Amino acid sequence: MSSRRLRSRQSSSTRITEDQIIELVSKLQALLPESRIRGNDRVSASKVLQDTCNYIKSLHREVDDLSERLSQMLATTEMSSAQAAIIRNLLTQ
Amino acid sequence: MDAEAANRGTEDTHKSDACERERKRRRTDAHPQSLRWKSPTEQQSYSSKLLEALHHVRRTSTSSSAANATPRSRAVREAADRVLAIAAKGRTRWSRAILSKCRTLKLRKKRVAVAFGHGRHRKPGFSAPAEAKNPPTLERKMKTLGRLVPGCQKLSFPSILEEASDYIAALQMQVRAMSALTEILSSLGSSSPSSNPNS
Repeated sequence: MSSRRLRSRQSSSTRITEDQIIELVSKLQALLPESRIRGNDRVSASKVLQDTCNYIKSLHREVDDLSERLSQMLATTEMSSAQAAIIRNLLTQ
Repeated sequence: MDAEAANRGTEDTHKSDACERERKRRRTDAHPQSLRWKSPTEQQSYSSKLLEALHHVRRTSTSSSAANATPRSRAVREAADRVLAIAAKGRTRWSRAILSKCRTLKLRKKRVAVAFGHGRHRKPGFSAPAEAKNPPTLERKMKTLGRLVPGCQKLSFPSILEEASDYIAALQMQVRAMSALTEILSSLGSSSPSSNPNS
């Protein structure tokens, strides 16, 4: 019974079309790194979803690694206000 | 009667125009939103805010007596995610989910863990999305994706896809900013061994 309610709510409020999903999947595919290498027509949605999940996981791992290195560097560097100003200058270039 | 019909006609077109405009506005808002993560100004603003947050992390972690390396890297990760979520300016679900998670973790860790457990057990009740033609593997992948993007566990198909594309663009910027920061810090650390130069 809950499934019927969910389906009716979806069809009345959002009216998800096939084209909309295809458009979103292709937009997602454009963000993936491999899409620039292959000619990206007719890649299945399932493959795009799989690649997206893997990509997000690898991005998470990268952020974790970078956090690890940053935390180590925070411990060792002096981080005086002068250095912070230098960093800010470098960043705004 | 003609005038009435004409009025109703124009009313309908007005309503549909308004809907169309809103939809267009939402769509044009969505596109520059993910393009926004690629702009250098966005990355610079994120980097400087992240730097401030890292200062704060460093100050708070050195004040506590039992400061080991593992919680600090997690503190850095959380600070980076929080600054990223703030940069999204509340327009996406994943950013709001990250910010609300930060607040609940600060208050009560146990309750969040228990709620998570209950959520996991309740999963089999969730029904299929509108497209019944999709094979079960696609649905399973959508669920995995929904779990990877914060706050998107029970969303509809297109919402998850939209959130995921914005989330990926934001994560890419986060990686770029943090890599640049790491490079700068490592070069600074190696070049200046002592703190204050004399005169």
